[in-house]
Amino acid sequence: MLEVKNLVKTFQSGDTKVQATKDITFSVPDGQFASVVGRSGSGKSTLLALLGALDKPTSGSIVVGDQDITTLSDHQLIKYRCESIGFVFQNYNLVPSLTALENVMLPMEFAGVVRPERLARAKKLLEEVGLETDQMQRKPGRLSGGQQQRVAIARALANRPKLILADEPTGNLDTETGKKIFDLLHNLSRTEQATILVVTHDLAIAGKTDKTFRLEDGELHEETTKQ
Amino acid sequence: MNPITRGVRNAFRNTVRTGSIVAILGLSIGLALTMLVAQKAVDNKIKSVKSSIGTTVTIAPAGFNPGSSANNALTGTLLAKVKSLPHVASLSETLSDRLPTTGATMPSFGRFGGGSSSDSGSTTSLSSPVTLNTNGNGGSRFFVNGGDGTLPTNFSLPVSFLGTTDPSTVDGSAITLSSGKTIDGTTAANNALISTQMASKNNLAVGNTFTAYGTTLTVSGIFTTSTQSAQGTVIVSLPTLQQLSGQSDVVTNAAATADSLDNLSGVTTAIKNTLGSNADVTSAQQQADDTVGPLNSVKTVATFSLIGAMAAGAVIILLTMIMVVRERKREIGVVKAIGGSNLRIMLEFMAESLTLAVLGAVIGLIIGVVGGQPVTKMLVKNSTNTDTATTQTTTAPDVAGGTGRRFGGEGQGRAFATRFNQGFRRNGAVQGISTIKTEVGPSILLDGFGAAVLIALIGSALAAGMIAKVRPSTVMRAE
Repeated sequence: MLEVKNLVKTFQSGDTKVQATKDITFSVPDGQFASVVGRSGSGKSTLLALLGALDKPTSGSIVVGDQDITTLSDHQLIKYRCESIGFVFQNYNLVPSLTALENVMLPMEFAGVVRPERLARAKKLLEEVGLETDQMQRKPGRLSGGQQQRVAIARALANRPKLILADEPTGNLDTETGKKIFDLLHNLSRTEQATILVVTHDLAIAGKTDKTFRLEDGELHEETTKQ
Repeated sequence: MNPITRGVRNAFRNTVRTGSIVAILGLSIGLALTMLVAQKAVDNKIKSVKSSIGTTVTIAPAGFNPGSSANNALTGTLLAKVKSLPHVASLSETLSDRLPTTGATMPSFGRFGGGSSSDSGSTTSLSSPVTLNTNGNGGSRFFVNGGDGTLPTNFSLPVSFLGTTDPSTVDGSAITLSSGKTIDGTTAANNALISTQMASKNNLAVGNTFTAYGTTLTVSGIFTTSTQSAQGTVIVSLPTLQQLSGQSDVVTNAAATADSLDNLSGVTTAIKNTLGSNADVTSAQQQADDTVGPLNSVKTVATFSLIGAMAAGAVIILLTMIMVVRERKREIGVVKAIGGSNLRIMLEFMAESLTLAVLGAVIGLIIGVVGGQPVTKMLVKNSTNTDTATTQTTTAPDVAGGTGRRFGGEGQGRAFATRFNQGFRRNGAVQGISTIKTEVGPSILLDGFGAAVLIALIGSALAAGMIAKVRPSTVMRAE
């Protein structure tokens, strides 16, 4: 269960304070595929950064499972990011000097998984996202956008996280590839039993998720849930 | 793949940039190593020169003028104070005199020191084994004042008498006893040591007697020596000669020995302070300092260049790593976002920095090995060329000695000092002051790699700080 209560994030911009998220409260049950929609600058990415423990909120709480991540120390946050969160970015954000396989193995290395095990799991994940064996040894620069995003999804699933956060995962892809990536995420959330929260401005994609939140000027305005 | 392997691989991400950085770093480390080689070579030379000078401090009567008939004298009473100074291991005292052979006619000797040797009217039954015109080949190497410039038919060189508390040396040269027994230098007794040449010339053996100062002396031992000066010298104890020559408590020269080279300077100063204006006190310390002066300059230049080159290397790595961290800020954010710790990322960058430094060190070592010897030679040559003349002059200061009846015939003090200084200059370590041998041994190689590691650590320190400051949310803001 992802449970967010009265989440506020304020940035200092020169002499003025900007409230990126305003008293946000929502929850997503385990294994659900949820989406947050909103226009550019509405605070979607800030919300994702807070949920992913990339940034600290000004106030409020974020409970993942039974753990309030706003109370964790820096060291505990590193462990949390490593073991409980999977990130998928719009620009893929793969490490350019590593091959696709090494990119997927990287979070497992951080989690202390032994090499043979992480190699086997990385190969399995890459096969599941549809990457060919020869493509696994390629560096990101030699992969297409769709292939890179598949690698990024495999990387996000590497440590079997409770929560996968995806920031505009289809934003840089053509419609066809975007649809495939979305379907892939959807299917994997089922097989891997992970809660997925996708941030998107694409209402068509949002419409396919179990639960949708609308974010406007840092405020969560409405919520729709599929029956 | 661990962070170290990733760091090493990252070092080759941009081969052109890596090549350029390694080349510049190699030059920097090469210069540092060359200077280290020079510094060590010069340091070894300085140590070699200093260790070759011995720990002897010579003491002679102040302002001794060989041409003067009146001079200052040292006394046993004064020297007793020296003996009790801290760090003075031993003190040898000598009194020199010379006597003409009974019945020989003596001309006035110009080159061989003025002063009559028959002031007291004393003579000896001994004839000197040393003859004139025996030094060198061809031509007359002496002159005789007055008359027709020729030697009298019954001429014989005066016989030197050395009263000493240390009968094992004559004028700083060791003697070897070939028969008989030595004498006690501190007790008055009419016993003497003579050279094999003196014994042969005068048909003497151990136990035989001869006369001097109107007294009969017994040959206690016969020694061999390599110097003609010692061959013509009769060794008796200091109190014996003081007694026979009527110079009670008088000493013409003394040599104190410091207990270590480290204390030589302190002992020299203490003796100077104790004897004040009564004596000229010299040690090889000052001479060695003068001699190694140019080497010290080279050492200073090498040290500063070494520090400069090291600093340049560190700055090169520092700027490179800052550039790399700035370039990969987003990547650092991504790695942090997926669970990478600061330590792991820093390790990765340090490995990268170390790879560059080690590659630079390999090039630097080649430069150091090839350039160490010629650069050191050039530095030393340039430095010593301007200083050698001065050094050669200052290494032979006038130490009092003399001629004259009371202070030893042929100027024993001057002769000793001159021989001492010449010996010092002839010493291999001193003479070859500009001949420096460099060595690039394992210690230098280790130092080189140590320097590279140090450069890498210093260079990546700031980068590590920058890495720690990169927040994982950077990756979101860059979206």
